[in-house]
Amino acid sequence: MSDLIQNSIDAFQNSHPIIQFCAYVSFLFMAIIMGLMIYLKSLRSRLRIKGRIEATYKKKYEADLIEYLYADDDPENNEQQQKIIAYLAKSSHNRLKRKLIINTFLKLKNEISGETADAIQNLYYKTGLINSATSTLKSKKWDAVARSVRELTQFEIKEAHDEIIPLINHPKKEVRNEIQKYLVKLFRFDGLEFLDVLESNLSEWDQIQLLEILNKFNNLEIPDMSKWLLSKNDSVVLFTLKLARIYNQYEAQEAIKSLLNHTNTEIRIEAINIVNHLGIFEAVEIIKTDLFSRCLEEQIAFFKMMEEMAMPDDIPFIKEHIQHENFYIRVSVMKIMNLITVDTDNTFKVNTITPDFSIDKDLTIAS
Amino acid sequence: MTLNIPQQLIDIFDYFFFGFAIAAILSYIILAIISAFETVNYMKKNSFVNYSNILSSSISPSISIIAPAYNESLNIVENVRSLLSNHYVNYDVIIVNDGSKDDSLEKLIVAYDLVKVDYLINYQIETKPLRQGVFKSTNPAFEKLIVVDKENGGKADALNLGLNISTNKYVACIDVDCLLLEDSLQKMVKPFLEATDEKVIAAGGVIRIANSCTIKDGKLLDINFPKNRIVRGQILEYLRAFLLGRMAWSKLNGLLVISGAFGLFDKKIALEVGGYDTKTVGEDMEIIVRMRRHMEEKKVKYRVAYIPDPLCWTEAPDTYKIFISQRNRWTRGTIETLKKHKKIGFNPKYHALGTISYPYWFLFERAAPIVEILGLFYFSLLIVTNNVLWDYALLFLFVAYLFTVMFSIITIITEELTYHQYRKKGMGLQLIKTAFTEPILNHPFILYAALKGNFDYYFNKKIKWGEMTRKGMTTN
Repeated sequence: MSDLIQNSIDAFQNSHPIIQFCAYVSFLFMAIIMGLMIYLKSLRSRLRIKGRIEATYKKKYEADLIEYLYADDDPENNEQQQKIIAYLAKSSHNRLKRKLIINTFLKLKNEISGETADAIQNLYYKTGLINSATSTLKSKKWDAVARSVRELTQFEIKEAHDEIIPLINHPKKEVRNEIQKYLVKLFRFDGLEFLDVLESNLSEWDQIQLLEILNKFNNLEIPDMSKWLLSKNDSVVLFTLKLARIYNQYEAQEAIKSLLNHTNTEIRIEAINIVNHLGIFEAVEIIKTDLFSRCLEEQIAFFKMMEEMAMPDDIPFIKEHIQHENFYIRVSVMKIMNLITVDTDNTFKVNTITPDFSIDKDLTIAS
Repeated sequence: MTLNIPQQLIDIFDYFFFGFAIAAILSYIILAIISAFETVNYMKKNSFVNYSNILSSSISPSISIIAPAYNESLNIVENVRSLLSNHYVNYDVIIVNDGSKDDSLEKLIVAYDLVKVDYLINYQIETKPLRQGVFKSTNPAFEKLIVVDKENGGKADALNLGLNISTNKYVACIDVDCLLLEDSLQKMVKPFLEATDEKVIAAGGVIRIANSCTIKDGKLLDINFPKNRIVRGQILEYLRAFLLGRMAWSKLNGLLVISGAFGLFDKKIALEVGGYDTKTVGEDMEIIVRMRRHMEEKKVKYRVAYIPDPLCWTEAPDTYKIFISQRNRWTRGTIETLKKHKKIGFNPKYHALGTISYPYWFLFERAAPIVEILGLFYFSLLIVTNNVLWDYALLFLFVAYLFTVMFSIITIITEELTYHQYRKKGMGLQLIKTAFTEPILNHPFILYAALKGNFDYYFNKKIKWGEMTRKGMTTN
């Protein structure tokens, strides 16, 4: 046996370098595979254990929080409450535990209101969690900064405003988004001040997020939006047009009319879409004058708008386009024709019956 | 030792096969590294995303889910229910019954209280004519559902009719038997809404294999690991492709394919390029290449996005016959697409599309099986002529096998670190076992299917899609 091994070693040592290289690579791969298999096994175990640990700590922090909140004495003088504060403060130095504590606070804070919610807010201060969040705002890691801003938003820490606002043009989109949400959630329309200084584009996704945050509040005092409608940042203009539509900004009519000739096509189309909503009848004539020098999307938007805004005087103009090469314009023309009929005494009425969409097949041929 | 073939020729072949193998391995490693970084980056960024706001927003963009169905009577009612249970707010579901010979339509009519309606269709793409027409439900609970019954014209033709019917801004083209997760649409639409300095023309998500999983009322309840070895192999194959491949192509903006099982498209661009090509069996790849080519030629900055989250679960072939038929079709689809768009290949005018994606697909997808079979022929010839250096040959084969196994295990670890879907005890070991057996049990059939696909493409033009017998995913 030992001869066989010795012969094999000799044969290997005398073999071609490529063979030796491949053999070393094989050993290396085998070792890596073994290592990876052991790592996978331990990883799966760790993930399972992590789940259990998280559940245990979550339960413990929930119990501590309940005990703290429902203690009879004044928190300043209650020894047990002081112990809980100290324990939570100490635990929060561990990243995972801090995350679990924050989640526990937020879960309960979202379920209750009034004094108990305020007590959780106080605990956030007393445990020093707020200090670690605000100090992380200076971190070089973008995700740490974004996490801090999100946490300060969730705990509604208005005092952090001055520290957060300089980061509004942060190079990382995720940080900017968190800051925008912080400002709007905590300061409502006043928070939209960032639109004055925003250098980057506000994506449609970001706009939806901000509008939904605003949507959760009632009786908001709405500021004059005209300055944002005239912003040099096109995404700010588009966002403001959406705001103007949702919050019925009739005061912004003049600014909206000026946008009908904006250099950005998307803005012109959005402006046409809002004309109907705000009932800006003067805009109809403005667009009509150069309708066919505008792009097709604008023409479609115009006819769509006219479905709601057409007057009997517009009928001859509308009728001219019943054979328009574009399907959507043809459909709009037919809807308008079907909805408005002119009586002999020159008054108009709106047909209330369900529109008949049956149509000559020729008209459905693609344009 | 007498040489029947000149030594120089042998050397050329040796270096060619060796070089090709090294290039393939290097490309896999580079793609895997880029994918790993990109996935970590995605997970980090995604932890800040709130998907709930878009669900309640009045300005969420509208989406049409287009699902072609051909002889899907077995599961059609449950599949449609699954599509209707998506959490997204502003969407409709267009089921295109593509001339089914079974009772799919009748089942849908009964289950969803459908009635025939007059519907104005904007025929922007030519398709086969309607058969019984367009149906909508009288039940307000199913108001999002539109069923269209048309003459049979194939999957691409059915999708084109769906594009004509849709009045929404985005279209999600899916296989009707796919199980879409409830949050799939909001995740898929996000890249379109996030883009500010470029246009996102399409987005694809990860497809996972649902065989043996527990599904009830169109919802995925429990993930199990199948016993069938062909399916197990495909699970690993899909994980490798989606976790360690496509993410890198997305980063390089070089994605050439979005799975036909689930993809979201900007409808305007899809219509501008004329919709799906009905003359190819690889319509899912072809439309992406055509859309990209269109954008490159228009000189518009664009991107094809990719979401690494598992969004769609589908039934994979569980017999070698169906498996080979599917891979045969994929091969023909690749050949057809690359041939049709050969203009972009190695053409710097098309940027990454022409200089990275196309050459990669040409070399490592289109040509790889041919190189592999040539290698086998060459090896056989060397055996016959007694020119094989067995110690070299066996050691090289062993190294290649070990690399494949190692790569698969890295994929499994990536899956554990990211989505951790196979979390039941014992599944880790099953996945590792599969990593060892898959190169032996699945790869030879993939190679055979690819060769058959090449043969059928050149010598058997009549073959089109091939049947995919569904067993159904509605299990308990």
